[in-house]
Amino acid sequence: MSGGSMDAGGWRRQRALLEYALGTFRRRGRRNLSMIVGLTFVVALYASVLLLTESLRHEWRATLDATPDLVVQRMVAGRPALIDADETFGVTDEPGVREIAPRVWGYLFVEAIGGNVTVVASQDAETRWASSLASGRNLRPAGEVPEALVGEALADRLGVRAGDRLAIPDAAGELRVLEIAGVFDHDSAMHSADVLVTTLAVARTLLAVPEAQATDIALTLARSEEAPAVARRVREALPGARVIERSALVRTYELTFDGRAGLLAVVLLPCLAAFLLLCWDRLTGLGEMERREIGILKAIGWETRDVLTARLWESATIAVGGVWIGYLLAYGYVYLLGAPGLAGALFGWSALHPTLELTPAARLEHLASLAGLVVLPFLGVSLIPAWRAATLDPDEAMR
Amino acid sequence: MHASALHRRIRRFAVALLALVVATAAVGFHAGWRRAQERASRANRRALVGALGFADLALSSSVRWIRHPSQIEPNAARSDLPGALDVDPAGALIGPPEEP
Repeated sequence: MSGGSMDAGGWRRQRALLEYALGTFRRRGRRNLSMIVGLTFVVALYASVLLLTESLRHEWRATLDATPDLVVQRMVAGRPALIDADETFGVTDEPGVREIAPRVWGYLFVEAIGGNVTVVASQDAETRWASSLASGRNLRPAGEVPEALVGEALADRLGVRAGDRLAIPDAAGELRVLEIAGVFDHDSAMHSADVLVTTLAVARTLLAVPEAQATDIALTLARSEEAPAVARRVREALPGARVIERSALVRTYELTFDGRAGLLAVVLLPCLAAFLLLCWDRLTGLGEMERREIGILKAIGWETRDVLTARLWESATIAVGGVWIGYLLAYGYVYLLGAPGLAGALFGWSALHPTLELTPAARLEHLASLAGLVVLPFLGVSLIPAWRAATLDPDEAMR
Repeated sequence: MHASALHRRIRRFAVALLALVVATAAVGFHAGWRRAQERASRANRRALVGALGFADLALSSSVRWIRHPSQIEPNAARSDLPGALDVDPAGALIGPPEEP
């Protein structure tokens, strides 16, 4: 017999076993359907966490290298305090230091919306904001009325549009009138939802930051590799200062996302374990009909291997179908619906939050992890009882 | 009759498989479209982050260390409300930053 005809024979055999296995969906439809639904649910839940976390990580990674190489905060009593705006830490002579920029930013609780607004002073009003505005224009440094740019969520919550005027209480409780020069666009909402950008003088007033002081100081270097050396000099010049290096942030964020996603996945593991236990319970208790069926198959000449292969087809159809549908549902849930419920539970209560429009970050490792966690254990719990029944004597199995 | 029943099963199986393949292709198309959108707006978002000075995501504005985990003091979960526990569930996703 040629190899080709053996292959054809093997294919015909597998097709016949698959047809037989598909027949079980009619005979044991309710049981198989309930297992597909259970698998789909578990996989959708687990995959949603994976997709959501991966997309947030992607979002953060895509913009991280636009941040300053070093940020210096003055610490008083172990907490960040205002820093002299003209502080240069004696590093101005360093050829690698490109810019030393005092920043004024902070939080302002706005009672009307019951939430914190992130107030950021604009360093240069002319150029840097225009590309991210959905409507309106850049800040004018010296307009008749002080101006502000606001995030999409903040504008929605306050009910303002570009050109409107807004009275907002400053840190001293006095109302300040601002004209909304522009509203940030939807694409930047993940970074700007709760942001109010205004001129340096207005930001100082809103946040009660005195003249000549700043929230922190950002250093931009010509080469990021020089950050540790410059950070060392800054610490020497200002003992006790907290110097945040961008490279340290990368490590911190990676660890944070990995750790927290892992924690969530671990929380879901009991759910998976409970489901597999349920499957084990259902499948080990082979019904009388099923035992008789296996007995008849063996009596008419089926080998143990054939019985197991048919069961493998049946279980693989359930497992792969459940994982496939579950992953597709997770995709729709996270990327089309914005993960309602899960996102709310993870991000917490917040008066201002962006519409979650994440960039899909499906990865092959997700499928590998799902196969390892769900498909293989499921095949295991379904094949072992079938193997037990298939090795019985046909006469005993039919009795 | 029996053979046609068997073929019907295979046909139904193939139709279900095809439906999944089509749904997967639609998801792939959607993902590609979204990624292209993201790439198109990335330069603008990077400019915004450069101007703001931090890349922290505005996921939760209710607690400072969750809004700007890269900037705000570590272990400050309790600093927003004296004596309060870390009641915000966002703490489950973003922990306090580690001291560099």
